[in-house]
Amino acid sequence: MISFKLNGQTVNVEAPGDTPLLWVVREHLTMKGTKFGCGMGLCGACSMLIDGVSTRTCIMPVQAVANRHITTIEGLGNPQMMSTLQNAWVEADVPQCGYCQSGQIISATALLSQNNNPSDSDIDIAMSGNICRCGTYPNVKKAIKNAAADLRNGKGRLQAVQVFDPTATASPETQEVQS
Amino acid sequence: MSVTEQPLTQNKQTLENSSRRSFLKKMGIVGGGLVVGIPLTGCASVKFPNAMDGDLQPNALLQITANNDIYFYLPRSEMGQGVYTGLTTMLAEELDVHPGKIQVKNVGAHEEYANPEYGLQLTGGSNSIRVHFIPLRQMAANVRMVIRQAAAQVLQLPLDQIQTDNGMIVANGKKLPYGDFTKVAAHLSLPEETPLRKKADFKYIGKHSKRLDAVAKSTGSAEFGLDVEFAGLHRAALKRCPVSGGTVKSFDDSKVKSLPGVKAVVSIFNGVAVVADHYYQAKATLPVLDVQWELPETLSDFSSDSTEAGNGKQLFKAALDSDESDNAHKEGNGREALKTSDTVVSGEYWAPYLAHATMEPMNCTAKFTGNKLEIWTGCQNPGVAAKLAAFYGDVAKDDVTVHSTFLGGGFGRRISSDYVAEAVSIAKASGFPVQLIWSREDDTKRDYYRPASMAEFQVGLDKDGNIDSWNVKRSGPNILPYTIDEVTDAMMPGFLPDGMVDWISKAGYGLFDGWTVDPTSVEGLFEDYDANHKSVDHVTVDPGLPVGFWRSVGHSFSGFFKESMMDEVAISQQQDPVTYRLKHLKSNPRLANTLKLAAEKAGWGKPLPEGHYHGVAVHASFLSYVTQIAEVSVNNGQIKVHKVTCVLDCGLAVNPEIVIQQMESGILFGLTAALYGEITVKDGAVVQSNFHDYPILRMNESPDIEVIIVESDEAPTGVGEPGLPPIAGAVGNAIFAATGKRLRSLPFKLS
Ligand code: FES
Ligand code: FES
Repeated sequence: MISFKLNGQTVNVEAPGDTPLLWVVREHLTMKGTKFGCGMGLCGACSMLIDGVSTRTCIMPVQAVANRHITTIEGLGNPQMMSTLQNAWVEADVPQCGYCQSGQIISATALLSQNNNPSDSDIDIAMSGNICRCGTYPNVKKAIKNAAADLRNGKGRLQAVQVFDPTATASPETQEVQS
Repeated sequence: MSVTEQPLTQNKQTLENSSRRSFLKKMGIVGGGLVVGIPLTGCASVKFPNAMDGDLQPNALLQITANNDIYFYLPRSEMGQGVYTGLTTMLAEELDVHPGKIQVKNVGAHEEYANPEYGLQLTGGSNSIRVHFIPLRQMAANVRMVIRQAAAQVLQLPLDQIQTDNGMIVANGKKLPYGDFTKVAAHLSLPEETPLRKKADFKYIGKHSKRLDAVAKSTGSAEFGLDVEFAGLHRAALKRCPVSGGTVKSFDDSKVKSLPGVKAVVSIFNGVAVVADHYYQAKATLPVLDVQWELPETLSDFSSDSTEAGNGKQLFKAALDSDESDNAHKEGNGREALKTSDTVVSGEYWAPYLAHATMEPMNCTAKFTGNKLEIWTGCQNPGVAAKLAAFYGDVAKDDVTVHSTFLGGGFGRRISSDYVAEAVSIAKASGFPVQLIWSREDDTKRDYYRPASMAEFQVGLDKDGNIDSWNVKRSGPNILPYTIDEVTDAMMPGFLPDGMVDWISKAGYGLFDGWTVDPTSVEGLFEDYDANHKSVDHVTVDPGLPVGFWRSVGHSFSGFFKESMMDEVAISQQQDPVTYRLKHLKSNPRLANTLKLAAEKAGWGKPLPEGHYHGVAVHASFLSYVTQIAEVSVNNGQIKVHKVTCVLDCGLAVNPEIVIQQMESGILFGLTAALYGEITVKDGAVVQSNFHDYPILRMNESPDIEVIIVESDEAPTGVGEPGLPPIAGAVGNAIFAATGKRLRSLPFKLS
């Protein structure tokens, strides 16, 4: 059994240790916001935050995230309560087909958590791992800049949902990784 | 009211479209014939999931409940192009309700959702806004009228004292929801010719651009085909023959059966599938699954890089040079006119096969319950998908239910339903409800590719250097036979005698070869410019790699060919490419206008930053007119596109921001093709597999894009595709300006 924090909640999964995190989250935990695009770490559709870093989870073995903090698109906000970036995304009408957008927003969140005033080239560097076949790049850029401005004005938050974590005070469990 | 009454300019292209329809009709593949318009009266035969007492349900598209919930059942598929918002905006306008108040639902398969122009429930050809512009608004206007009539009856007031505002009846200074009157309205007969709002009175059309699906798609809550989940669902991976069209000779699953999670191994029409609890388990078994293949005859011998006669590009070249061709179009004396030309400028062009590479790989979920079959998929052609599912599932058509999801990209790929046939076959053979997931490798290697094409132009000039005759010949595969092959099993048996089915399926290819030319093979090569004489010829040559509709179809290569050639002609006469084009656009004023505007906006002819050069291209497609000017630099053989100025005339822009986004989208899609896109074949097998060898343009490689929409009162025309065709030509022409090298093959390589 492998245990990690998913959007603030401790989860335990029975899966071989080399199973990609993406499929554990999508199929074992049935959270479908994070997408499958290439399976080779090339497109960014499967991006999640692992301890705050945007990571390609289609090639990340679940055993490597034991006890770490994972945030998916669902952990940033929901239709009733969206994060600043998600709001900016809606305001700028970013999504077209929408399939790459969870990954785009995750990478943008990682960027703004480090830098709330990114230049065009900062944005290019942070976002070039996320392919959008629909070509939403101009609006992705616009939305990131708008959200960054909100954050600088103290009007925003990168994570909108308050997560209640019942295990937060419990002592950490010990896990054995199956392989 | 029918779509033919739309105030559309009758130009060359509408004629071309109608000839395409008559061609399809001649081939007998337009289902039950051309269906014009959407039934506007009478009760829909579609059962709505949330039907309740007191509903007003005038047809299959709209439902207003007594609670004043308004549901719009979206007849076209949302794949990023914006119909979810666009069609809703049109409905909202005449219903007098804010678009955001309407709940939009994806629909299954039903003939009442047929595309008015095709007779099939097909989303493609950039026609959704255009063909629904009148019928959908007319329907909504009639419904608003019947609600007003019901309100007049209930409130005992004359009709002219019953007004509406955002889903409410306004009368006697009071506001009452539409839902209060639906029960009475449902018993009145629906008026038919309610006047439509004038442009000056539009509240939402031309103004509203907020995507109604943006919240769902920004929070991970929009459901795509791949996201379907229910208890007992298994996952499948399919091992196919490396060569498309190959079938299973034999297989040995002894090494697979005992692997973790594996529930079944089954052989289907094109491969061997492994069904497991989880996708990663199913996929992991494929390398050790031993399958012997029966290779298809033609394709197995084909290699793109072969230099042998009759193979690789030589195949296309020999066809182009042969005397055997079909004439697709002739004006004046055609090719004969070359004899009297003062000068002839020629050029030979090439464009490779291309994959669609939608972000969401192909997938489909299938579940049998007794004789009933349900499928879940996001596709552009749910009607055909349902019929294919019935055929491969061996159930009656009426026993198939399609659950449609959002599409993670379409671009024409999801017109074909091959993945539906596979998923249904696997579910049937294994007895499990399955979700078939294609890997990116499957998706890249098993596409209906944009057909590779070669073309030769011979442009005859008069003594003043103006174009007298425009002659072009194209060689390459046609899309239609593959389309026919796919739909034949599913659609033909309904109205063709046995035996015919097989005959057309197998012989269809030869059937119209020499009879007439598939319009998608030559569209865009010849229409735009004035010439006294024109001739368009075609030679069919097909290595056997399946081909299909790829964003902008024939225009995807013809736009590049024609616009590069036009540049060559202008430059051969030492004339400015913009001025020379304008001279030959006298009978194409809307296209000429976009060119003038773009030249002005981009500062054509004005100094650019050191090392930067402009290239221009114009192209009309899907009844819209586009000019693009690309600003490019070339350093050490590296091509960089800095900026693209794009002017579009698409008639009235229903959602202007979405129109701008579709231009950006088309430009970036076309840039990927211009700079990187190439599918090659080795011994019949596609070489490329994933984004490392089939790269897609990334943010850091994307230019700034400025889009200008021409103000227009004309009816709306296409936007999903027309942004793509000019871009490769514009960039190629800029590369010529920068380097003096004319690149006549895609993708561009400077070596
Ligand atoms: S699916 Fe993980 S990077 Fe593409
Ligand atoms: S919105 Fe379609 S791939 Fe990005």
